[in-house]
Amino acid sequence: MKRHPVRHALLWLMAGLLLAVWAFPVLWALLTSFKSERDVLAYPPVWRFAPTLDNYREVLFGGSSILPNLWSSLVVSFSTTLLTMLFAVPAAYALARLNYPGKRASGFYVLATQMLPPMGLIIPYYLVLQKIGGLDSYSGLTAIYLSFSLPFAIWLMVSYFEDIPFEMEEAALLDRAGRMRTLWYIILPQVRGGIAVTTIFVFLNAWNEFLFAVVLGGNKVRPVTVAMFNFISVEQTQWARLAAGAMLAMAPVILIGLFAQRHIVKGLTVGAVKGGGRR
Amino acid sequence: MSHSGSVRIEGVVKQHGSFTALHGLDLDIRPGEFFALLGPSGSGKTTTLRILAGLESVNAGRVMLDDTDVTHADPGERDVAMVFQSYALYPHMTVGENIAFPLKMTGTPAAERLAAAQEAAAKVGIGHLLSRRPGQLSGGQQQRCALARAIVRKPRLFLLDEPLSNLDAKLRIETRAELRRLQRELGVTVVYVTHDQEEAMTVADRMAVFMEGRVVQVGTPKGIYLRPASVAVAAFIGTPPMNLLPAELANGSVGVAGAWLPVDAAAGQRGRVVLGVRPGDLRIAADGMPAQIEFIEDLGDSAIILLRLDGQQIKMKTDQAQSLQEGQQVFLRFNPAAAHLFDHDSGLRL
Repeated sequence: MKRHPVRHALLWLMAGLLLAVWAFPVLWALLTSFKSERDVLAYPPVWRFAPTLDNYREVLFGGSSILPNLWSSLVVSFSTTLLTMLFAVPAAYALARLNYPGKRASGFYVLATQMLPPMGLIIPYYLVLQKIGGLDSYSGLTAIYLSFSLPFAIWLMVSYFEDIPFEMEEAALLDRAGRMRTLWYIILPQVRGGIAVTTIFVFLNAWNEFLFAVVLGGNKVRPVTVAMFNFISVEQTQWARLAAGAMLAMAPVILIGLFAQRHIVKGLTVGAVKGGGRR
Repeated sequence: MSHSGSVRIEGVVKQHGSFTALHGLDLDIRPGEFFALLGPSGSGKTTTLRILAGLESVNAGRVMLDDTDVTHADPGERDVAMVFQSYALYPHMTVGENIAFPLKMTGTPAAERLAAAQEAAAKVGIGHLLSRRPGQLSGGQQQRCALARAIVRKPRLFLLDEPLSNLDAKLRIETRAELRRLQRELGVTVVYVTHDQEEAMTVADRMAVFMEGRVVQVGTPKGIYLRPASVAVAAFIGTPPMNLLPAELANGSVGVAGAWLPVDAAAGQRGRVVLGVRPGDLRIAADGMPAQIEFIEDLGDSAIILLRLDGQQIKMKTDQAQSLQEGQQVFLRFNPAAAHLFDHDSGLRL
């Protein structure tokens, strides 16, 4: 069936509009980050201006450098991601494959944690961290992030594991692979797309997180999402520096997106198993 | 090969919850035998195969391989290979890596693995496809790849679960002959699950017929065909299936639809029976059982005639259908030795 040319054009138009709506603020911020403060406030907006790297210089190496904050974000996001994946992959495999008492209950628990409004948890979390001295610490913030990312990652990974036919594992067991080597040689390579996707989601969620970071962080641990607010003060907003900071904070996200595109390979198992009915 | 590959299953019971899949199964499979487990869907044949593989536990009974009790041994410890109905190839590995995988797991050096994989692939005629991925193979080639992966480590026992069911009819017939050749060449014991009685008849040395979680008959295909042990087996074996008619037995004759025809039965036997006659054993005669031709299926060299006899539909196979017409009244007879007699109540062969 050939698609109607008008329909086709409309589709492109819609896609273009949506993309523009999404991209406009980003591109605007990118432009702003190269402007001087005077050009930023010019009205009507100036399209021709002398681009400057002063904002980046100031944001990176000036008095209010966000380098320590980028480091904070990196530490928290990296440790959250690493720990999440370390626990989520085996947990999801267990949920997808093994039968153990309380399996249904634990599966429901994983889902239930995703339904809680995070806002309602801030005060309890604050009190808990205060009691155990975890406020303004990497371990404290990471632990809090884990409480969200782990159920999310498990829930996401389970469906990838469930897509792998049972018979494939049974074949590996008969080939003397044993449970662990089956997981390593047969199962994990087939869910690597899912692992890549989940890792990226978890990392980005941790990197972008603001609410818990602003309440549970402090002077020592202040992720970049929180630190950017330094450029907004009562007297004035330093738009150009804020934009430069935002660009720097966004850079890893965009880089990961570009890098991961190639790794998100779908349908790797398609065609490997035919029929598969069991009597 | 250090092991001969004999199998003994003793009193195996398997329950899935409240459903009993196997009711105390006993089977003896001899070394080097091509043994088919034949039965309709849900009769327990695949469960039996999976128990042999160690993929299912048993609720009671013992499984012996070469006189060693393996009832509770892990699949990997049993030295058996299985070809799954779905083939279960590893999609992220090449054909060569798939075939070599069992050797990799036993720690065989890489060079040796490669040579063995090449040899196994060549045996099943896919030696030129080693660097492909399973997704790039046709159904028949995938099936061969699964076979090669099974033969590469020279196990004592091959388990094949409906290995031909995903192939088209022509390829199925070719492949089953090849399976037979391969089995003879390797001299290995094969246990083969199928619901296709024709397939079992053509490849198996012996077979076990499964019905509702029980083995109802064990024997050579020919033996079972010639002397089915019950009405159920008689109805299952043979294409088209055997005609089964309620009849009266007295004085060495059976009475069907008012006609009395001689059968091979002891003079003392009498009472209500089920008479079984294969379609090929019926012939049209001047007198006998009255029937009306309903339909003629011409197969070219022969024909299947559908008839109505005493309100029941029966089939006759003949190569002399030219003179027959639909709607025609005929009389049917059969050779006394071709009649199968079963007890009316128990369904067992008399």
